[in-house]
Amino acid sequence: MSFSRIRDYFHHLFFPKEDNHFRPKILHLDFLSYYLLLSLFLTFLFKYTPLSNILGYATDITVEKLYELTNQERKKHNLPPLNYSEKLSRAAYQKALDMFNKNYWAHFGPNGETPWQFILNAEYEYEYAGENLAKNFLFSENVILAWMNSKTHRENILRKEYTDIGFAVVNGTLNGEPTTLVVQMFGRPLSSNLVRNLSEKKPVSNFSSFANSEVLANNEQKPKINVTSFLFNFNLGFISILILTLIIDFYLAAKMGILKIRFTGKNLAHFIFLGFLAIGLFVISQGEIL
Amino acid sequence: MINYIKKEVKKHAFDYLILLTASIFFILALNLFRGERFLEFVILLAFVSFYVVWGVYHHAMNDHLSIKIVLEYVMIGFIFLFLLKIIILP
Repeated sequence: MSFSRIRDYFHHLFFPKEDNHFRPKILHLDFLSYYLLLSLFLTFLFKYTPLSNILGYATDITVEKLYELTNQERKKHNLPPLNYSEKLSRAAYQKALDMFNKNYWAHFGPNGETPWQFILNAEYEYEYAGENLAKNFLFSENVILAWMNSKTHRENILRKEYTDIGFAVVNGTLNGEPTTLVVQMFGRPLSSNLVRNLSEKKPVSNFSSFANSEVLANNEQKPKINVTSFLFNFNLGFISILILTLIIDFYLAAKMGILKIRFTGKNLAHFIFLGFLAIGLFVISQGEIL
Repeated sequence: MINYIKKEVKKHAFDYLILLTASIFFILALNLFRGERFLEFVILLAFVSFYVVWGVYHHAMNDHLSIKIVLEYVMIGFIFLFLLKIIILP
């Protein structure tokens, strides 16, 4: 195929011309039908094929990224990095499982379970401890950003007393909905002097603040395919292409004076609809923090 | 093009005001129920349905409603309903 033919076809797709009845081909009903079929195909692909078992839930949150970003925030404030603690991560994982099993979304469980119970059960004797929670975020960056924008969560992340940190990103069903929970636990182990006194006097626990938000991830299995980023960017790219084509079509059709004699949907209305969907996409990528 | 937009908005000010108001409510509702996946999907479904109804109403009021135009609104709306559903309720 020669260059001129490729160029003509490109024009046929994106510019209103006589041979596409003065409407870009990618806005024609037959092309819209293909997009609809593709979107249906993707919906069923992710829902009913084994691919969904690999991917699990539509989030791209990893413990590694959360750990890296948390320490980056501490570094910005001239604080020492936190050490990754397997014990605190185990406690965070048990906390997330407990929330799924007992169907609650809070720092304290329905039967009076406290965050520090999970830490002590993980054999981490603490002098200071704290917990941040999140749910249903799409990306690790957004989780940390949301915590940093919240006074109490921010104080937890930037507390100088902490030396260790653990994370859990766990998928499950909460209140009948597929949910990703992110649990971040902070701690500072008891010093040896305090440990010696432990048998005589119970140590004072110092939980600063607790924060909950929803995130989706899994401590045990990592997605092999970065599907969330793919879908997010696919949606954003697709919306952008359609908006761009609508603008080109609108501009050229107005210039040719054919807008009033052409019986199609209103480009301005489509533009508003798609623009707000793009904004909505960014809102959806944010989860909830308590 | 700007002149045409001005004329179009002026001519159908009420219609576009309704569309913009609904769009803003869509974003506010999504923000209000952030992290509540099922509610997010319901809000998206409501917005898409409203958009289709708006399109039909707008063109019906202007005497140039056709099945092709209805399908155009339905398809644009539901393409993104399905695509965003994969993210909201995988």
